[in-house]
Amino acid sequence: MSGRAHTGEPPAGPGAMGSAHGASGAGAAALARLRSVGTDPLSELAHIKERTGLMAMGYFDSYLPEELIMAHGIVPHRVTVSGRDDPRSHEFIQGYACPAARDLLEQALRGDLSLLDGVLFTRYCDSLRGVFAVWDSQKLSPFVDFVRYPTVVDTEGAVTYLAQELQEVSARIARALDAPLDERRLLDSIAACDRKRALVAELAARRATRDLPLAGADFLAVLVAATTMLPDEFTAALSTLLEHPPAGEPGDAVPVVLSGTTFDNIALAAAIESAGLYLAADDLSTGSRWYGIRVGSQPAAAGETPTDPWEALARAYLTKPPCSVKEPSSPRADHLVGLVRASAAEGVLFYLTKFCDSEQVEWPFLRDRLAREGIPVMMVEGDQKGEGSGALSTRLEAFRERFELGGEDS
Amino acid sequence: MSATGERQPMKRLEATRSLRSLIKGYYDDLFRTASEGRPSAWLNVGVPCEFFYAMDIFPFYPENYGAACGALKITPQLSAVSEAHGFSADLCSYVRATLGTVFSGEGPYGELPKPTLQVSAMNSCIMIMVWWRAVQRHWEVPTFVVDTPLVRDQSEGINLDYVESELRRMVAWVEGQTGRVLDLERLREVVRLSNEGKEIWSEVLDLRRARPCPITAADIFTHMFPMVALRGTPQYVAHLRALRDEIKQRVDEGFAAVEGERYRLLWDNLPPWFDLKLFDDLAARGVNFVIDTYTQAWGPRYMGPIDEVDPLRSFAAYMGAGFLNVQIGRRYDLLAELVDLYGVDGVVFHSDRSCKPFSLVQVELRRKLQENLGIPGLLLEGDHNDQTLLDRGRAWSQLESFLEVIDGRR
Ligand code: SF4
Ligand code: SF4
Repeated sequence: MSGRAHTGEPPAGPGAMGSAHGASGAGAAALARLRSVGTDPLSELAHIKERTGLMAMGYFDSYLPEELIMAHGIVPHRVTVSGRDDPRSHEFIQGYACPAARDLLEQALRGDLSLLDGVLFTRYCDSLRGVFAVWDSQKLSPFVDFVRYPTVVDTEGAVTYLAQELQEVSARIARALDAPLDERRLLDSIAACDRKRALVAELAARRATRDLPLAGADFLAVLVAATTMLPDEFTAALSTLLEHPPAGEPGDAVPVVLSGTTFDNIALAAAIESAGLYLAADDLSTGSRWYGIRVGSQPAAAGETPTDPWEALARAYLTKPPCSVKEPSSPRADHLVGLVRASAAEGVLFYLTKFCDSEQVEWPFLRDRLAREGIPVMMVEGDQKGEGSGALSTRLEAFRERFELGGEDS
Repeated sequence: MSATGERQPMKRLEATRSLRSLIKGYYDDLFRTASEGRPSAWLNVGVPCEFFYAMDIFPFYPENYGAACGALKITPQLSAVSEAHGFSADLCSYVRATLGTVFSGEGPYGELPKPTLQVSAMNSCIMIMVWWRAVQRHWEVPTFVVDTPLVRDQSEGINLDYVESELRRMVAWVEGQTGRVLDLERLREVVRLSNEGKEIWSEVLDLRRARPCPITAADIFTHMFPMVALRGTPQYVAHLRALRDEIKQRVDEGFAAVEGERYRLLWDNLPPWFDLKLFDDLAARGVNFVIDTYTQAWGPRYMGPIDEVDPLRSFAAYMGAGFLNVQIGRRYDLLAELVDLYGVDGVVFHSDRSCKPFSLVQVELRRKLQENLGIPGLLLEGDHNDQTLLDRGRAWSQLESFLEVIDGRR
């Protein structure tokens, strides 16, 4: 790892691109739109419902195929972590449920999610499972259901089973919400979602090479917008941004990869970058472990043509880079190292959400693997809330200074 | 009231003596198996030991081992070892204790022999999977996960087909790893013994309905071991028979395990293994936990008799709808049924910080029980294996207040 001097100035490039005077024209307008959706996704959902008169279905993790919801003419909405402090979940669930999962429950208890006509859970983790129990018992939305999701992701049996299970869930949605499945719409949804994910992947690749050094905080806003806006509108906005990138130069901020589970806290990402780091790539469940999904290009099982869309959905979602709640999780480490290399990142920032069991166990192994690869890593444990603290800034600055000293441990 | 006031010592079951030699024999076998180079497997409680006895592979249950560490109050020391390796202090205390032994070779039995293989099932928690994963990576032990997707209340249809196919995959994998072939006839023999013991266990649980109750919660928790680790062996049947006969005799004689039994309570969740004395101390106040939910996991509702004709299908049905693999509705129904059957005055919900799947529904269960049946519940913060997470003084005063609530209702 080559050391280099840091001016001590705020990072010029990524920061400047995000600033009002750094952006102009169509690209700037597109960015402004994506940013506004990313920072206030529920307002966007309200607009969508008002304009289209469609129902909306919430979901919580990146293993849930939004195409399934769209195929019923329902708007999918990934409920993001609001990051607000709200004690009211304690009346329903213990404090050792992870704060991100509790946050989702708190939003429902506050009434913030009243726009949702239903929600769909997967097993994902034991904290979300607890939230599901409360949601279900308290009927926090008119429709509450869950996919009996596989945990093992590398077998043909899991693909076959999930394909069947998705169809059973689809039948229940159709019945409960009087929203029949439209096979044509399923195929169109798959195509539309593939398109938008491919564009996000393109943006990520251009950020990684600094061809389009959009601030990491803005990239997070794009990720939120991607699962909030109607796909065609999102695709149009992101295409515009990609075609007319606002002016900006990569600064001398130290590029790092952000690794974790979900991470929707844009303000916290901005705080991280203001310590002189550039979030050059992400290893997040809602980021690079999601936007690589390509359903349409899934090969058929041996001897079968054409690919059944349900099977393609199941296969694509099961074979994405795995989260630590899945088995096997080992490809995650390769994925992370690959991201570091592709983005020429100098280190990894591992964000460990408090009480996240699977990440707590994954952490020592990722740490050791990164050490073997000679990649410095810093772990930050937090609750996905707030906008950073003085203590965090100090640690982040110390981390950045390691690279100025030549990447050695300091 | 004094927590340790003068009273007659509790009369322990005679069967506890033979239990000690049973446990000693089991650990002797474990070490003998290793020294003779015969195969052994680490299994979690969701994986039926019957398959492994039938294949002559020694089944070892780390959860059971963890409880032994808890009983000896050495979890904090072992946890310090796993924390030094980077594993969070928030992980399940079973995991911290066992990993501490794996990393240091320290523990109640010294260094544990490295198993030939590991199998876990997803029907308890995510923690199990990542626990086995940690051992797999550290010791490089071949590891298999049996997928059992979370269900609402039963495993049926495609879900049952999938779990059965997972069991077949497990058998083939174990055969491949060990070269030992599963002989169905041998499995049936083991199943016959297993069923016999389960029926006796069910009688034991039933005998607790007597007024006064013949045994305490400490008695029954102590006698879990054969149900977990020895199902399908002759010594398991013999031990359970002796246990049942002794308890039956107590019932016939009108013996009261708690003199002047005044409060018939239900204990929800794992017990604090490091403090089974809590139950004795409460006995001085006339409290007996006449029933609990934990031992029900091995009871007829969740681990009933296996169909000898089609054992794999039958195992799959129980595994797929294991105690922690079903939803809050079934947990509530069980509580309501037990409250009625055992004449319960109140429920102590042990909010076990380690165990999210068991605990995170308790706030809601307590509310429902109070609302629907008028049965009061106490949420008691603690942990099943780490004594530093139980504030004994606070717990005691909460329990005292709870007894007053029950008195107030009489
Ligand atoms: S951060 Fe971890 S524990 Fe929390 S919701 Fe995500 S996966 Fe679950
Ligand atoms: S979290 Fe609960 S179910 Fe899982 S290993 Fe720990 S005690 Fe057992």
